[in-house]
Amino acid sequence: MIRDFFKKTPIQQRKNESGKEPEIPTGLWRKCNKCGAAIYTEDVIEGHYICPKCNGYFRMHAYRRIEQIIDEGTFNEWDKDLAFYNPLHFSGYEKKVRELQEKTNLDEAIITGKGLICGSETVIGVMDARFLMASMGHNVGEKIARAVERATKEKLPVILFTCSGGARMQEGIVSLMQMAKTSAALKKHSEAGLLYITVLTDPTTGGVTASFAMLGDIILAEPNALIGFAGPRVIEQTMKQKLPAGFQRSEFLLDHGFVDSIVKREEMKDTLSKILKLHKKECVKECVCNKIEIVNLENIKQIEQLNVEQSKLEGQSVEHENDGESNDCNDEQNKEQLKVEKQEESFVDAWSRVLVSRMDKRPTGLDYINVLFDDFIELHGDRCYGDDGAIVGGIGWFHNIPVTVIAQQKGKNVKDNIKRNFGMPSPEGYRKALRLMKEAEKFHRPIICLVDTPGAFCGMEAEERGQGEAIAKNLYEMSNITVPILSIVIGEGGSGGALAMAVADEVWMLENAIYSILSPEGFASILWKDAKRASEAAEIMKITSYDLQKLGMIEQIIPEKEPATMENIENIKKELEERLLQFLEVYTKISKEALIEHRYNRFRNM
Amino acid sequence: MFHKVLIANRGEIAVRIIRACREMGIATVAVYSEADKDALHAMLADEAICIGPAKSSQSYLNMESILSATVAMKADAIHPGFGFLSENSKFVTLCEKCNITFIGPSADVINKMGNKAEARNTMIQAGVPVVPGSEEPIYTFEEGEKIADAIGYPVIVKAASGGGGKGMRIVHKKEEFHSNFLTAQRESVLAFGDDTMYVEKYIEHPRHIEFQILADNYGNVIHLGERDCSIQRRHQKLIEEAPSVALSDELRQKMGEAAIKAAKAAGYTNAGTIEFLLDKYNNFYFIEMNTRVQVEHGVTEIVTGIDIIKEQIRIAAGLPLSVTQEDVCIKGHAIECRINAENPEKNFAPCPGKINNIHFPGGNGIRIDSAIYNGYHIPPHYDSMILKLIVFDKNRELAIQKMNSALGELVIEGIETNLEFQYEVLNHEKFKKGETNTHFIQTYFSK
Repeated sequence: MIRDFFKKTPIQQRKNESGKEPEIPTGLWRKCNKCGAAIYTEDVIEGHYICPKCNGYFRMHAYRRIEQIIDEGTFNEWDKDLAFYNPLHFSGYEKKVRELQEKTNLDEAIITGKGLICGSETVIGVMDARFLMASMGHNVGEKIARAVERATKEKLPVILFTCSGGARMQEGIVSLMQMAKTSAALKKHSEAGLLYITVLTDPTTGGVTASFAMLGDIILAEPNALIGFAGPRVIEQTMKQKLPAGFQRSEFLLDHGFVDSIVKREEMKDTLSKILKLHKKECVKECVCNKIEIVNLENIKQIEQLNVEQSKLEGQSVEHENDGESNDCNDEQNKEQLKVEKQEESFVDAWSRVLVSRMDKRPTGLDYINVLFDDFIELHGDRCYGDDGAIVGGIGWFHNIPVTVIAQQKGKNVKDNIKRNFGMPSPEGYRKALRLMKEAEKFHRPIICLVDTPGAFCGMEAEERGQGEAIAKNLYEMSNITVPILSIVIGEGGSGGALAMAVADEVWMLENAIYSILSPEGFASILWKDAKRASEAAEIMKITSYDLQKLGMIEQIIPEKEPATMENIENIKKELEERLLQFLEVYTKISKEALIEHRYNRFRNM
Repeated sequence: MFHKVLIANRGEIAVRIIRACREMGIATVAVYSEADKDALHAMLADEAICIGPAKSSQSYLNMESILSATVAMKADAIHPGFGFLSENSKFVTLCEKCNITFIGPSADVINKMGNKAEARNTMIQAGVPVVPGSEEPIYTFEEGEKIADAIGYPVIVKAASGGGGKGMRIVHKKEEFHSNFLTAQRESVLAFGDDTMYVEKYIEHPRHIEFQILADNYGNVIHLGERDCSIQRRHQKLIEEAPSVALSDELRQKMGEAAIKAAKAAGYTNAGTIEFLLDKYNNFYFIEMNTRVQVEHGVTEIVTGIDIIKEQIRIAAGLPLSVTQEDVCIKGHAIECRINAENPEKNFAPCPGKINNIHFPGGNGIRIDSAIYNGYHIPPHYDSMILKLIVFDKNRELAIQKMNSALGELVIEGIETNLEFQYEVLNHEKFKKGETNTHFIQTYFSK
């Protein structure tokens, strides 16, 4: 090898002129406990305590977390000096706690207090794993309960960053009772209509998971955090089961419907701030609460009048609109109407509309969400079983009004469609929708539903989890939700799967949308045993927007000058925006009782 | 002077630096990845230390490994070469914290020149001409059009986050501005999620002219003349020469002074390069500063007789420049061809592998900077440039003839190279006449 032939540089006596030896200062590097790589400490500190090499999250000290989340200089710490408590007189416990207090500069495994997040006031609690694995002793429970009670009194939201190994062994049964204590305090807070957000960080397990961690109106999690009730070691040992990779990690919980959203550390403050702003009392008050004037059925009449006028403006037949007296149209009237209809729409037959409503290019729920709402935050999961990709829900702004938006979502390509299950919701989808509607009710947010489904998913799994029950529950519960609900059929309104998101104060349809008892194919095959006669079925089923308006099933038709696509979505947005504003303007003024009464009558008369 | 220098690089540049150190009597430490244990630089250095797996992110870019190696081998300085960590300001800061001299400029200067907007503003303030264009980011086509009107067409619309031609449009007429701007912006939003745009004067068929700068710690800044690097394929330089046929003595002096002004404005120390675009009317515009030694530094060394690597080491060791501007005298003509392990038949795809047989040309006026040898395996993990063939003669015509002869004698067997392609470019009529610009390859050699 040539290497053996190269002559080396003659070694000179080393003269150190500067007197400084090359050396690596202590603390310049630290080791990542996830990937084992040496990383530059300053990178870790500047990078939100995330390993720049493997993206692993380091556990954060509670005060660092406060610095990261709370506006500088606004944090006001509460209850820092609770007396040490040793209910079981556990030997050595006090010494251990004192040592930890000394070492960590914490008084307990949680710090609580009040501060601002981008200007929004909130109560916050942050747990710190360095303190006996942030186990929940009496003082942890006490600090949380006091903070929550004070938040209830001061009408403030609560944010808890959780992290815990579970119960504190040294305090025995007293530790267990903290679960009930904290949960009860949170229930009172919730009853007062106040917002509670939890942020699950690594690791959140045991009694903390089984109490305040899982009770958030909104549950966020840091990526890849271990979250569970029984720890993985316990499960493996007692059940003799090998657990799969990713088990009990944040992403696993998201898939199983228990986490609303996984938020990266660097985006946490911004996300929390957006959520707080969407729930700010002033906003809601401005937009909704103040407008709850004493309203009675007079207003409903006004609304109906408005709709009539709207329709007139669009030059459509409104003869069938009831004049406030009767709903019964006799056959002759019907025939009259049909004639009118035929004249108006001879240029587009029903089957064509069916095809247009199913077009690949047609904008989907999320497309409308993106153009209509600002700062939309998607919230996932039914908190029972899973997160259904066929239904997208969340909160966002519509012209300075916080709203809840729930959309049935079709995919744009095969891969996307597999995730979205071709827009066919599963029971967990309907349960997620209902959960978000209930939340909207709690926070006085109007609800806007975008309907676009061939039908509810009819697979075996859906039956196992109670598809029928899920749909029924939505119809039942939606009938008396005390905030305005508007449903817009943007594509296909397939049967019960669509109705489960359309028990609304008003139902609108895009001009080329359809809404039906079942697909024309299904209709033809049941009635004539021939699915090929679907186009014929489409004509007689009365499923187009014009048909349904005449039947009194829907209030408004959103015109599509050309069939909706991503290219002309701005036009549809303009059409929708104006009407949505008007809808909210009218309906947010109506009292809860009148609103429910109106919704009841809307369906009672059908 | 340093006792021992660690070379944080590989390939021919590492070998080049080791040679300079050997001549200066400085001991050398090579670092190598697991894929490079038989690389020439690792064999030639006095000592060598493995710093990690083949992937450069885990070896040649691994700051912690390299700093630990430096401390363990008791080297007092690091020469970064080019590429890898050579323009990484954080690495420079870390060297300082570990009492290790970084042979190159300060972290501040690297940051300042690495940030396009800041570099541009520094040059504007120093009175160095820059390509006219928007000084602030642009978000709407109305703003963009106003600027385009002011600087005159053609203009180029560029996405701030752009790269690889995405989010970039050349607009020749006002009527085309609106649609081109929106398309470029939409592309940028789709590709990078960023709608920040810039509008600049589009310089048609420019030459790429760069000036070599040396600056010591005592305020002495000199330039070593220019290199013409117009022969590029997809922004990769292929042939470089010094001096440029496009520069008169007068223009050379003017541009050289601008380059010195630029380096002074940046507060520069060590070796660096100021890159300009030169249009057909002899207007020149600063485009960027490279804060490291360049691949093509050899052509300047040959026509000036100044060893740039040695000067770099001297400057870093706190010595003043060994030459003044008056001493710099450009003599003759040098041309460099980069030989890459790539297959021109397969769209220049990299072509690593074993070198079965090799023969280097030699004789008067031939210089070869390379790290390959008989039986060497070119690993697939790194840059495909394996050899720089530099020739020197009295004038350009003779230099081209010499390069022709040398290319004809160079034999590399076992892998595909771009040798034949270089031969064709060199013998192109337009090249011989010196009628080159940065679109040369695209114009005459795109299939």
